[in-house]
Amino acid sequence: MNAVEIKNLSKNFGAKQAVCGLNMTVPRGAIYGFIGENGSGKSTTEKMLCGLIPTSGGSIQIYGKDYKNPDVRAQMGVLIEAPGCFPGLSVWDNMMLQAANLNLQNPEQSVVRTLKLVRMEGAAGNKYKNCSLGMKQWVGIAMALLGDPALLVLDEPLNGLDADGMRIMREVFTDIVKDGKRSIIVSSHLLGELQKVATHYGIIRHGKMICEMTAAQLDASCRTYIALKAEDMNRTKLLLAGKYTRIEEDEAGFLRVYDSVSPEDVVTYLYGYGISVTEIGTDKISLEEYYMDLMKGGN
Amino acid sequence: MEKEIQFRNPSFAQRLKGMLGVDFYRLFHTPMFYIFLAISAIIPAMVSAMTMMSGPDGAPTTPMYSNVWQIIAASKPLYVIESIADYANMNMVFIFGGIMVSIFIGHDYKSGYVKQLFTTHAKKQDYMMSKSLVCAFAMACMCLTYLIGGTVGGLLAGYSLDMNVGSLILAIFGKMVMSLGWASLYTFLNVIFRRYFGVSIASSFFFGTGILIIGVAAIVEKLPIPTAILNVFLYGSSVNACLVSNIGTLVVCILVSAAWTIFYNVVGAAILSKSDVY
Repeated sequence: MNAVEIKNLSKNFGAKQAVCGLNMTVPRGAIYGFIGENGSGKSTTEKMLCGLIPTSGGSIQIYGKDYKNPDVRAQMGVLIEAPGCFPGLSVWDNMMLQAANLNLQNPEQSVVRTLKLVRMEGAAGNKYKNCSLGMKQWVGIAMALLGDPALLVLDEPLNGLDADGMRIMREVFTDIVKDGKRSIIVSSHLLGELQKVATHYGIIRHGKMICEMTAAQLDASCRTYIALKAEDMNRTKLLLAGKYTRIEEDEAGFLRVYDSVSPEDVVTYLYGYGISVTEIGTDKISLEEYYMDLMKGGN
Repeated sequence: MEKEIQFRNPSFAQRLKGMLGVDFYRLFHTPMFYIFLAISAIIPAMVSAMTMMSGPDGAPTTPMYSNVWQIIAASKPLYVIESIADYANMNMVFIFGGIMVSIFIGHDYKSGYVKQLFTTHAKKQDYMMSKSLVCAFAMACMCLTYLIGGTVGGLLAGYSLDMNVGSLILAIFGKMVMSLGWASLYTFLNVIFRRYFGVSIASSFFFGTGILIIGVAAIVEKLPIPTAILNVFLYGSSVNACLVSNIGTLVVCILVSAAWTIFYNVVGAAILSKSDVY
């Protein structure tokens, strides 16, 4: 049984169709990277999944049950946009209020454990309004984690986090799904960070899921390229462009050859024109590059 | 073999208990509640005192009331007001209460709390009920501080204390019972206008003044039908809880308050279920 199964989901805002016929499958134990441009329907889909806005059509099943069931909702932890906290109350009070809403049996214990998990135990007494952006984000994540939910839905959780915060977040995510029971849906524009932790991906565009894949499938789909530097880069570029179908220059000044060809062949070819290659290696395109390719209609 | 998720299905009582706990905590931890309690005490005391103030020529004005308790409730069911004295009684708490409920619920939306709440197992009817109950409690407390302020103000102004105690108690209970109906109306209005705080507060004030029913009462008085028919409305029943109240008056207040509470809760929950939470 999958953690989430969405079939033919749609949402209309008046005449505007924000989500149209979206299908999505999140397996158990997955960290599901939900990717899409601004306005692609990511947040709308997440809000429907979390019961914040009604659907216009389609079905949503969470662990095999209809998403509206209270017992299912009790197993969800959510952070959509910003945390819903009362600014005048302390972090502790806000957490305790959420624990009360969740009817947790040992609210104090749960709050202490969750704050410890996100390294926020020292800030429990701080008023929420006095917290930094990053701390507020952690409070939101902590609230979503309260009660050990089976499904976490996090919209842009990495916003406002520093490098150490992102590392902690990755550890927390990995820890949550390690028992294979719980799953996380996480949307983020920080694709590099997402790639470090996601096990599955869903890419949405214009309200439709254009592709779903595992991290292994993404890895296989991400084309290998040869990156090189040579003595005369302008002439090298012209020569390579004349022989190979796709040549690009990256931000680090390397020329990339995307054709299926070995580094030795490229070196030999350039050497034939009297050009010495100074650096060469192979690499794979990142999730970000893959995503950009996909958005541009590449493969 | 796949490990199973343990699903909990909290009962209605459990859900409501959790939500009431949160709402009462918020109520007692916000200065707004205490400010409104103070306002409810100060206003009647000021009204009592002002009615005894001297006019511009130094001569004392004609007292608006003949005894202390008329600042608590009118001497008879006056659906159509003839003077400010007919209007200035404990019913004013329902105007202050409307503003308080708007601020209280407005904070839910402004802070994003509702978003956090409705992603849990909380149901829309739980929300309506919890807000109605907590705000009714707050308004009932405001009725009590109003009683204290009005009594002290009336005594300082030198008004008589003579009154049928039974009727007075029934009138006060009647108005306190009406708090639930009023709180449900305000919760409903704030759910409808949840995206527009200004409209929420203005509509609560508008309905709280009872101006609609006062207008209807002026028409009904000219028709060959009993004005008691106006008791089916919240304002009508609130006015009916006056200094000639009997047990029947209290029963009417209970029935009217309960009926409107159910109506506003059911319709409010249905609207919330069919629309975006925020």
